[in-house]
Amino acid sequence: MTRVFLVDDHEVVRRGIAGIIDAEPDLEVVGEAATVRQTLPRVHATRPDVVVLDVRLPDGNGVDLCRAIRSELPEVQCLMLTAHDDDQASYGAVLAGAAGYVLKDIRGQSLLESIRRVARGEKLLRQGVSAQVVADLSAPSGAPAPDLTLRERQVLELIAEGLTNRQIGERLDLAEKTVKNYVSGLLAKLGMERRTQAAVYGASADRRP
Amino acid sequence: MVSEEILAFPDEPRSELERTIEELVERAQRVLATQGRLRSLLRASRAVVQQLDIETVLERIVEAAVELVDAEYGALGVIAPDGHLERFIHIGMPESEVRLMAHLPEGHGLLGAVVEEGRPIRLDRIEGDPRSAGFPAHHPHMDGFLGVPVRVRDQVFGNLYLTNPRRGAFTQEDEELVTSLAATAGIAIENARLYDESRRRQRWSAALAEVTAALLSEDAEESVDSLGVVADRVAALVDASLVCLVTPLEDGAELLRVGVARGEGAEQVLGRVFEPHGTIVGQAWELGRAVASETGSPADLDWVPALGPVVGVPLTGFGQRLGVLALARPVGAPRFSDADLDMASEFASQASVAIELARARADSSQLQLVEDRSRIARDLHDRVIQRLFAAGLTLQGIAGTLRAPAQERVLEQVDAIDTAISEIRTAVFALTTRGPARASLRHRVLDVVSELGEALPSPPRVTFSGPVDLLVRDGLAEDVVAVVRESLSNVARHARAQHCEVDVAVDDAVVVTITDDGVGAHGSTRSSGTANLAVRARERGGTYEIGTGASGRGTRVRWSAPLPPAAGGGT
Repeated sequence: MTRVFLVDDHEVVRRGIAGIIDAEPDLEVVGEAATVRQTLPRVHATRPDVVVLDVRLPDGNGVDLCRAIRSELPEVQCLMLTAHDDDQASYGAVLAGAAGYVLKDIRGQSLLESIRRVARGEKLLRQGVSAQVVADLSAPSGAPAPDLTLRERQVLELIAEGLTNRQIGERLDLAEKTVKNYVSGLLAKLGMERRTQAAVYGASADRRP
Repeated sequence: MVSEEILAFPDEPRSELERTIEELVERAQRVLATQGRLRSLLRASRAVVQQLDIETVLERIVEAAVELVDAEYGALGVIAPDGHLERFIHIGMPESEVRLMAHLPEGHGLLGAVVEEGRPIRLDRIEGDPRSAGFPAHHPHMDGFLGVPVRVRDQVFGNLYLTNPRRGAFTQEDEELVTSLAATAGIAIENARLYDESRRRQRWSAALAEVTAALLSEDAEESVDSLGVVADRVAALVDASLVCLVTPLEDGAELLRVGVARGEGAEQVLGRVFEPHGTIVGQAWELGRAVASETGSPADLDWVPALGPVVGVPLTGFGQRLGVLALARPVGAPRFSDADLDMASEFASQASVAIELARARADSSQLQLVEDRSRIARDLHDRVIQRLFAAGLTLQGIAGTLRAPAQERVLEQVDAIDTAISEIRTAVFALTTRGPARASLRHRVLDVVSELGEALPSPPRVTFSGPVDLLVRDGLAEDVVAVVRESLSNVARHARAQHCEVDVAVDDAVVVTITDDGVGAHGSTRSSGTANLAVRARERGGTYEIGTGASGRGTRVRWSAPLPPAAGGGT
């Protein structure tokens, strides 16, 4: 039985998804949250296999939330559920260290299938996407790319490798909190916190502990 | 003033007393006469100085001089910088006689001699003088002549000419009186000029204030026309018959365009585009300083109607050339004075501000538009998609509890909701601001669609799936744009379609699908354009098919190519 935790600020969305998931014999919803603040304690308490999260939340940034979950509970996988498009979702998923994303289509993409694959430890992001995201974000002339500092670039590359904040901190000999600040700085530089499209970047679980 | 010889009496000896008495009486009379003339001079001077309007001052000077020496004719010639007579104000000659003459004196002959010598010339008879020449035909007979220069400060402004003294000949005394009057006249002219200048400046600043008000106006329409206001005011103040604001056709372009025109023939020149080289306006544009045509006939543009004196004053803002303010007067009109040029420059800087301001306003409304768009995009994303998604989930849940025919119909609705979400997602993307550098493939596709979509009855629907921008780059992106462009223009040209859809999907391959509900692909499949698309597909190991649309109608074009293996390796 795969245990699923839902994070979305729209109750009707949570109810709809829960209905679909609970109808499956091998899946069950073990908890829900509507805000960033509710999420971490409840995830700690319920220990789900997969967290399905909307990255646009009323009290915070889902990319940061996803990284926090992954850092504290590396065995929990995250799957982004987003109203944004594939390109934005891909950026978001890479930065969040999520295993993949699902667009908010009802029938277009299989949410259930994605949850099962993520729970099995598969990475849903296409090969090359991470590298392309890093290349785009690092290229000084690239479309969304502001100039990044050396540290930010290092952090970005480790993010793309799928490392959690804690692991990045160990690798670069930085406190986890400092890594978090770098990530926030990165997001700010990419305009993700201010602009609509960026705030939606979603992420789910990443693979490696 | 009275010379000694005239006082000598060669009569036979009289008594000493008688002689003395007569002498005294005579002297007294002369003193009286002289006093009378001096009084006339004072009166004349007062009459001249009392006036402030330059035209009236000039007329009064001639009138006073004629009266002072009792001449039949009198005139004041104003000297132009080149030494010729610019103006000729005359009295004593009936209008009918003036009309008979071919032209007014131009400053040749005797009149010119006064100009050249810069001191009085007094003659009993004009005819005998070698300098006399150039009388216009039908000029009335002239006898005695007195010409006296009029100086303003140290410059010779013009000359007073008096002819045909009623008392037979001009005397030394006449010459001295007129010289005195000329000195007063010089002061009067200077006063009038200063007055004129100050009045002009007053009007000027009033007009500038008006222009500024128009510039700052909250009323968008009024402020948009601030350049027109500038042109109107300049035309009135510098007495130009035509005022144009000339700006480059586009940024960095060689050609100039008349953007605003006011006055005579404005309709003919408005919107005219010309090469700056060799024109007064072009010189002002290239040199960055005011340029006036010296000859009074620019001959640099075949303007219709023909123009007289022309000046071009450059407009600059933040060190950048914005355009040229061009002023023109009719053929034969006096050239523009330094004061005119000063004024034009002042207005040119106002016009520059107007242009800068208009640009800033355009920028700000552009910004407003961007803000509006991102707000709409945010709303679509935050509210509309979420609700549709929630509604779709609920419907799908309900469908699970239904039996066959009803279930199918509900699921059809769920599909419709999915399509709507996908379209909104494209709309949200289209509404978001573009990055400054690399144009994303989705933006390029949307650009092509909106460009060619105008030729179609309804705007094509565009959907994307998969991270198109991330994975489709470089040459492959070029191919996709070419496929969309060629296929859409085929639809626009041949298909007679009502609806058209464009879908770009990326997974392991990029697949471009264009469908329409038109008359089908007959005959249009062999064009060089479609052949080119087939080649592009083949070179990438992909496929290109043209078939019938899904519902058996219209055309379905499917172009696909695998992603290059190195995807994500570079930029």
